[in-house]
Amino acid sequence: MLKEQSKNIEKSMTKEERLKKRHRAEKRFRFYGLTSILVALLFVVILVQNIFSKGSSAFKKTVITTEIFFDQELLEIKNGASEEDIMEADFYDLMIENLIKAYPAKDRDEEDELLKLFSGDAEIEIKKAFLKDNNLIGKIITLDLTASDDIDQLHKGNYPRDLPEERRRISDFQLVIYDYFVENKKISKNFNNYFFNNGDSRDPELAGIGGALVGSFYSILICLLLAFPVAVLASIYLEEFAPKNKITDFIEININNLAAVPSIVYGLLALQILLATIQLPRSTPLVAGITLALMTLPRIIIPCRASLKAVPPSIREGALAVGASKFQSVFHHVVPLALPGTLSGTIIGLAQALGETAPLILIGMVAFVVDIPSSPVDPSSSLPVQVYLWSESAERGFVEKTSATIMMLLSFLIVMNFIAVYLRQKFEKRWN
Amino acid sequence: MNNIKIKSKNLNVYYGDKQALFDVNLDLNEKEVTALIGPSGCGKSTFIRCINRMNDVIDICKVTGNIEMDGMNINDKDLDVVSLRERVGMVFQKPNPFPKSIYDNISYGPKIHGKGETKSELDQIVENSLKKSALWEEVKDRLDEPGTSLSGGQQQRLCIARAISVNPEVILMDEPCSALDPIATAKIEELIDELKKTYTIVIVTHSMAQAVRVSQKTGFFHLGKLIEVGKTEKIFKNPDNKMTQDYITGRFG
Repeated sequence: MLKEQSKNIEKSMTKEERLKKRHRAEKRFRFYGLTSILVALLFVVILVQNIFSKGSSAFKKTVITTEIFFDQELLEIKNGASEEDIMEADFYDLMIENLIKAYPAKDRDEEDELLKLFSGDAEIEIKKAFLKDNNLIGKIITLDLTASDDIDQLHKGNYPRDLPEERRRISDFQLVIYDYFVENKKISKNFNNYFFNNGDSRDPELAGIGGALVGSFYSILICLLLAFPVAVLASIYLEEFAPKNKITDFIEININNLAAVPSIVYGLLALQILLATIQLPRSTPLVAGITLALMTLPRIIIPCRASLKAVPPSIREGALAVGASKFQSVFHHVVPLALPGTLSGTIIGLAQALGETAPLILIGMVAFVVDIPSSPVDPSSSLPVQVYLWSESAERGFVEKTSATIMMLLSFLIVMNFIAVYLRQKFEKRWN
Repeated sequence: MNNIKIKSKNLNVYYGDKQALFDVNLDLNEKEVTALIGPSGCGKSTFIRCINRMNDVIDICKVTGNIEMDGMNINDKDLDVVSLRERVGMVFQKPNPFPKSIYDNISYGPKIHGKGETKSELDQIVENSLKKSALWEEVKDRLDEPGTSLSGGQQQRLCIARAISVNPEVILMDEPCSALDPIATAKIEELIDELKKTYTIVIVTHSMAQAVRVSQKTGFFHLGKLIEVGKTEKIFKNPDNKMTQDYITGRFG
């Protein structure tokens, strides 16, 4: 009897202890969860902060305000000259003559150093001003000419000027000129239109993501046009019409496997089939779009099928019971209900494709392309590949350009994901 | 005695290797309510799903034997199930309105069958169907609201309205009240009483009381076999079979 009682007490004790233990386990788990979220957030903050601090300066460019006198003798064209004549006219001498007046240089060497403060496009910028107004002969205007990369970086504070001269790209004399410019308020920062309008360039101050933007746009458009209809029809057929047997099981397993295949494999496939066998033009958005479509296809089919599966069978039965055919029950009821999930799955698939680099490198999109592509069969770059290209460049100016391109890419991805979430939340019907 | 509307002869149903119905011979009378009772899994639902061929949806389901409606073999492979389901409507256990407006829920059936060419004809069909299902007064001012915003009982009456919108001859009801409260149930039962003037109704139910209240004929199923069938009064007062007696007195099931 006594023995039994003590046993009971022991049992009740352990029960209380067990309860405490359970509570402790839960508290521990909450703590782990919270910690991992904080760690993840910390990394995101570090990443974003790093990219922003490096990249935000790329959206401004340094310009030097310079007086330009359009000397008839140097230009050999008249007021009111036609566009063709202006394009053919030589503005080089005019540029030299005007730029060396920006600072009183003593000799030829100093003049050379002075000229190096301006970008390689100074001549074109002067020509453009004349194209806008062809009555400038004999007149003086002030122009904001783009500064060279070195001055640009110096002015943005990215260039250490306290290094000894032999380890600097900017000479002491150039620093003197720069300080003179600053003192006379001849140097300022403008919106960097080149960053958005230009293609790639060897000169960081002239390089832009215009070509990459257009290239990425064409690639994603082709990817969407190819992948979306195929993926949606395939998922509807597999989910609603296909018999459930070993063949469809096999297809399903393969779709899941294909979604996990490393993207570079698709690049190799495209290299062999699209470029070597079919001989489509290399480095073009057309090939990139087809490659990305192949890669994206299974990644869209999976969420599409999931959203079709999420439509309750009672809806299908309800439609069938009033005499709808299978086709009508699917296309009048199931597909419209699955559409928000389908669209958001597609957008997320496209967002992944937009950030894809490896397969594009294999199909030759790493080529140095200066021109902005005018059609999907022109050689082109793309945003992620542009990041890759610039990240390898030695010039200081490309550091901020790389980060700024990442910022652009990230903002596109965020916008796309936001649209996906919005579509899902706004249009998804709830059934009880 | 009414005419026989639907006649099943030696009806067998298999789900894969498992046989769900064994040689069911059951006649359903026109413009009468037939109740099917029996413990869960006894094949009542399987039986009524044979009448509008809803079992076709299940890949592994195989049906043998004859089931005739007005002399036409429903189980014929060449039969067009779409026109069959136009004649045989169905109401499910759980209300399943489409996530669309009340109006669209009802006009969908007539639309796909090409009934109601004009808007006013459709309006008329919607109004009539809702009136027949005793829902018109409650929803006439909010036909644009989603069908899913109604209460459970209203949703079920909406589903009944949807079923009668295509003007069927037979309405199958698979435990239509099992998800409803007693008040909503009473309304549906009243409605069934009204509908039997126009339609042949088959109702599967777990409630003995409901079977007594609404039906004229009752069939008792057990383990896939039709044990006994007859006039409702007789089945509940003086069944021939011992098993029926045990079931209705609550000794098993």
